[in-house]
Amino acid sequence: MTAAIQTRDLSFAYKDRPVLHAISLSVESGEMVGVLGPNGSGKTTLLKILSAVLRGQGEVKLNEKTIGSYGRRELSRLFAVVQQEVRVNFPYTAAEVVLMGRASYHSAFALEGKKDLEVARASMDLTDSLSFSNRYLHELSGGEKQRVMIARALAQEPKILLLDEPSAFLDLKHQVQVFELLRRLNRERGLTVVAALHDLNLAALFFPRLIILRDGKIYRDGSPKEVLTEKTIEDVYGIRVRVEQDPVSEKPQLFICPCV
Amino acid sequence: MKVLDRRKMILVNGVLLVLLALSVVGCALLGPIRLDLSQAFQNIFAPNPDAEIFFRARLPRVLLGVAIGGGMAACGVVLQALLGNPLACPQMLGVSGGASLGGILGLIFLPNWLLPIAGGLLGEISWVPLAAFLGALLSMMLVYRFSLFHGRLHPYHLLLSGVIFNSFIAAIIMFLNSIVDFYQAQGLLFWLMGSLSTRAYLTVAFIWAYVIFGFLWLWAKGLSLNLITLGEEAAMQLGVETGALQRQVFVASSLMIGAMVSVSGMIGFIGLMVPHAMRLIIGSDHRLLLPASFLAGGIFLCWADTLARTLLAPAELPVGIITAFFGGPFFLFLLYREGRRKLTL
Amino acid sequence: MKHSQRILAVYIFLASVGISGAFVAFAQAASGTQPQRIISLAPSVTETVFALGFGNRLVGVTTYCDFPAEAQKLPKIGGFMNPSLEVIVAKRPDLVIGVSSATDPVKAREMERLGLKVTLISLASVSDILSSIKSIARLLGNPAAGENLVRNITRQFEKVKKRVAPAPRRSTLLAVGLRPLVAVGGKNFVDELITLAGGENIAGNAAQPWLNLPDEYVVARAPQVIIQAGLGSDRGESAKHWADLKSIPAVKEQRVYIYPSDKILRPGPRIGEGLEEIARLVHPECFAEAKSGPNKGSGCEGSRP
Repeated sequence: MTAAIQTRDLSFAYKDRPVLHAISLSVESGEMVGVLGPNGSGKTTLLKILSAVLRGQGEVKLNEKTIGSYGRRELSRLFAVVQQEVRVNFPYTAAEVVLMGRASYHSAFALEGKKDLEVARASMDLTDSLSFSNRYLHELSGGEKQRVMIARALAQEPKILLLDEPSAFLDLKHQVQVFELLRRLNRERGLTVVAALHDLNLAALFFPRLIILRDGKIYRDGSPKEVLTEKTIEDVYGIRVRVEQDPVSEKPQLFICPCV
Repeated sequence: MKVLDRRKMILVNGVLLVLLALSVVGCALLGPIRLDLSQAFQNIFAPNPDAEIFFRARLPRVLLGVAIGGGMAACGVVLQALLGNPLACPQMLGVSGGASLGGILGLIFLPNWLLPIAGGLLGEISWVPLAAFLGALLSMMLVYRFSLFHGRLHPYHLLLSGVIFNSFIAAIIMFLNSIVDFYQAQGLLFWLMGSLSTRAYLTVAFIWAYVIFGFLWLWAKGLSLNLITLGEEAAMQLGVETGALQRQVFVASSLMIGAMVSVSGMIGFIGLMVPHAMRLIIGSDHRLLLPASFLAGGIFLCWADTLARTLLAPAELPVGIITAFFGGPFFLFLLYREGRRKLTL
Repeated sequence: MKHSQRILAVYIFLASVGISGAFVAFAQAASGTQPQRIISLAPSVTETVFALGFGNRLVGVTTYCDFPAEAQKLPKIGGFMNPSLEVIVAKRPDLVIGVSSATDPVKAREMERLGLKVTLISLASVSDILSSIKSIARLLGNPAAGENLVRNITRQFEKVKKRVAPAPRRSTLLAVGLRPLVAVGGKNFVDELITLAGGENIAGNAAQPWLNLPDEYVVARAPQVIIQAGLGSDRGESAKHWADLKSIPAVKEQRVYIYPSDKILRPGPRIGEGLEEIARLVHPECFAEAKSGPNKGSGCEGSRP
């Protein structure tokens, strides 16, 4: 299996504030990885660097080639990003937004072709957003908007999907729906998924591999059982929790203390 | 799924082109003076007041109005897209003001022999549009720089800096007014409120060249402009070189604005109103919005100029007053609607 | 550049602000005392004061007051539109003369509140100009000088009127700016001068004293004479400005003139000379001294329109 994403000694600082220190990690193609850590630990920055929005010091490789050697259009066919917050300043319909994902597949002047429409439709179908494809994005609920943005990411036909706290503004039902969708895409299509997450329990349930960041460094990297220990949580998040294995899913789940 | 397709492109642009052609003819026929058309066309080559009114006094300014209306509207579209703000337009951002200031300074300080490249026989090509272009570019850069906060362009900061910048420019212009030769000060109202009065076809052709070139160039970026409205990061992740796009759009629109303002002074609100009106009708896809706004802007300014010539006949109002008259209330309506709609601003 | 054009720029500014109206305000004159320290807020006022023989009493004039030559040496109190209140007060004048349509009424009130005597005269029409000369003369304590000056001006008027009487009226455009075209409108003393000179102002029916005229209007009204300001330093440009509109009689018959001086447009004691300047341009044939032939002597009967 080829290494889809690989970083070596990646560091980054905002002006004078260091954020990431010598991050070295490797994600194989087809893996599903959750990135955890408290606010300020560098999750979002890491994703931005992986998606070529920011440039850090150190090496970043996608599919064995350094990220700098790719053109932007090429990159957008390779990976897609779903951001935390959906920000649209003009009235676009959901369908129009999803179609924007196809931008790197046709030339600037050409209008969308049949294939583009098919891919867009399939993506929206997959994310259960086809029913409101003609409604304006700003009229949709948070959950509906997020599904549209995921559809847009899928319309790029990427090999790698990067998500930044995709469930941040969703209600519980939709959170679970999004994660189930990600798991399905990962298993059925071999989509490599890397997501920054804040809900540790959901992360444990859905992600076979977790990386925890603390102060810009990788604190632990492994399966949920290995990573989510009481000591780790206390070290990284500063709170005491009780960790128990859920008998049904066989994954560790956290219980907030008071530890009765 | 309703999306932009070839049919819609052709339909919308076709209808607008027809309306534009009708407007050009209509506005050239209308005015405070009644024209005798048959006279105008029969004796084209003899000195003939009707022919002169139609071909020399009216047609050039109508054609100029189309170019400037279209150019201003197109600049409004791209600036709104680039800055992610539906309230942006060349005037609001202070860019027209900067262009005016550049033009005025050029007029004052460029030595007289430098002014017309080929004066006299060939017409009025001069260096002043270049000075105005530099003014537009500098103010564009300044405004952009001042409104950047943490890498994101906060719309309120943008508008605020535009307003303050405009006041500053106005202060400088007024200062220049009180120290320069009053002959030059006479033209100040022209700069501030705009006028399409011209008889030189060469000037009109010149401006058309600037505007068409700039517009076509911007139209090619239509898809990227769509993407950039999703945010700079999202656009990057979708394959847009945002830095290059911003630079190119700023330069192209500064060039256009500089050329237009140097010939016609500041005519505001077109870049604000027309893109919005067109968005309401045809949606926000810039591949259609750009040409549609261009054509609609030309139509609008054509008629605004006819009003300016006719309303207080025989006097001619500065055309900027007419556009402001429509634009002011429209802007307030926009503010109200944006507030209600709660777009993630 | 020409000072008159600066003054004209001020009038244009006013036209666009839409101030019209004339009123004469007389402050209570202390009986028996003649003002010794006078400040003038307008070039035409300065000229009037000098013409009445009281130039030596002026202690402050505007930066645009350039006639007569002595006026240029007088201390300046600011511009036409923006005189400096402080400088005026510091000069301790006992009379400040301004123009009702130009002087900021707020500033005038300020001056009065500071104890200064302020008079605003109206210069909106020829009769206003003449009566303001008389009232200034009265204020300065020599009404006879005023009557004299007005009589001289009136005599100049009569001379010109007689000269041009036989000739038919010529439609005239008088433009003070070319880009944009600013023309003399109605309710304007220059409009009256044009009429007195045997012309007919093509924009005389306008409500505004100065207005932007669209080119089509000029073509339609077909003036027989065009008198215009120079386009800055390049006079050749001005002449060429109308060259392509050959249907205009003034262009066809080469009666496009650059008016040579600023006398025409200052509403002061030189309007008599100004009238003659205009008349010479509108009806040059009435002023040509024919050497021989049927029109020997003066007289322009039978001249074509």
